[in-house]
Amino acid sequence: MTDETPILDRSVVDELRDSVGGDEDFIADLVSTFVSEGRSHFAAMQAAADASDAAAIVRPAHTLKSSSAALGAMRLSAIAREIETAGRDGTTTGLDVRVTEARQVWEDTLKEMAGVGLIK
Amino acid sequence: MTDIALVVDDSAVNRQLLGRHLAGIGIGVREAGDGRAALALLRELDGQVGVVLLDVVMPEMDGYETLEAIKADEELRHVPVIMISGVDELDSVVRCIRLGATDYLPKPFNPTILAARVRASMADKRVHDMELEHAAEQARLLETIERQKEELSRFLSPQVAALVSTPEGEALLAGHRREATALFADLRGFTTFSDQAEPEEVLNLLREYHAAMGALIVEHGGTLEHFAGDGMMVFFNDPVPQPDHVERAVRMAVAMRETFAVLSAKWARLGYELGLGIGIATGYATLGRIGFEGRYDYGMVGTAVIVASRLSSAAEADQILLNPRAHAAVEQLVAVEEVGALTLKGFARPMPTVNVTALNLAAATA
Repeated sequence: MTDETPILDRSVVDELRDSVGGDEDFIADLVSTFVSEGRSHFAAMQAAADASDAAAIVRPAHTLKSSSAALGAMRLSAIAREIETAGRDGTTTGLDVRVTEARQVWEDTLKEMAGVGLIK
Repeated sequence: MTDIALVVDDSAVNRQLLGRHLAGIGIGVREAGDGRAALALLRELDGQVGVVLLDVVMPEMDGYETLEAIKADEELRHVPVIMISGVDELDSVVRCIRLGATDYLPKPFNPTILAARVRASMADKRVHDMELEHAAEQARLLETIERQKEELSRFLSPQVAALVSTPEGEALLAGHRREATALFADLRGFTTFSDQAEPEEVLNLLREYHAAMGALIVEHGGTLEHFAGDGMMVFFNDPVPQPDHVERAVRMAVAMRETFAVLSAKWARLGYELGLGIGIATGYATLGRIGFEGRYDYGMVGTAVIVASRLSSAAEADQILLNPRAHAAVEQLVAVEEVGALTLKGFARPMPTVNVTALNLAAATA
């Protein structure tokens, strides 16, 4: 299911640009916030997965789900949701694998963002 | 005043985005990354926050705890809270509405919906603030009215002050006719005294005299129309009906004479010879607001007033003169001596008059 979800939903990106009146500086700022925040979420998720601490993975996964959706990074958002749900359910098996998968999607997302000029 | 929105979300992306949208519709924004920081900011901004946009999942203090803390705080509970929530979090939204949240905002944010909800909540807050201000204003107004009434009652008779601002009072102020008893009292020898004494002495003596007589007027339920130098006019049976109005006037006159005796003995030692003359007359009169725009008094107008004034002028020191109608009403109560028919200025026929020498003790204690 995750694979069918677009890495970057262009319509969300377009709406976002429209909603701020095409202010590219703001968009660039927002994306850079997204990138630095995303890195710390991954660090937190990795630490939680390494410690098999299901509860600790919920919050970074939840926040990543939300901010990635805001920028149209729908596949990343979807996988973050799966991690969040697993964390809430107390599932520890496979958390590590999911975080690694998510990291791959994260890299793909940044590439696509660069491709549409969101990251310069 | 309350044009600031507080955005509480642990995602910097969301805060930045919301801040941008809100700034776009002219709303100032403050941000907090968790509930604890949000509460601190709310208290620091003291009343300036018109709406809180609150995320549910946050570190330190989550949306539920924050919402509960806001609603439990007397100072903050009226600030509207809009929950920020993803579509998959509708259960938590319902829970938040139960906890007192006013609305929710789905993620991802739609600027139009955001603007509408934030504006509606801020408008609610403003209405609420205006209601509070209005209530405070009303309370201040009532306080002022009470203070003015209190102040007024120091200048007017308490009975007249009580008429002000009641509908019945308005009717009475407009004017009415009824039987009433007027009492005039003034000092014998006052003109000579005031010519000879120092002004301070005159004022001190008057103050003492007014204080002593004033207490008796209040005690007997008289309505003081005026003090003028050494003279005063008091009437009874209005605005508060007093079936025993003549008796009250006579009892008060006797009490005044007794009180005055103590004062005048003291003044005599200082070399001032002063006496008190009192005239009482009962009759029908017109009572109500008398005067002109800018200065009204509650007054009594009628023949009885003129008669009482003339009798007071005619009275020698220590005399309490009654007109026939007043005498008839208290015949059993008083011991009198005939003064004879007095010719009063302005009256064609001489008026048979009596002087009250004492209260009839048997009747007085009955």
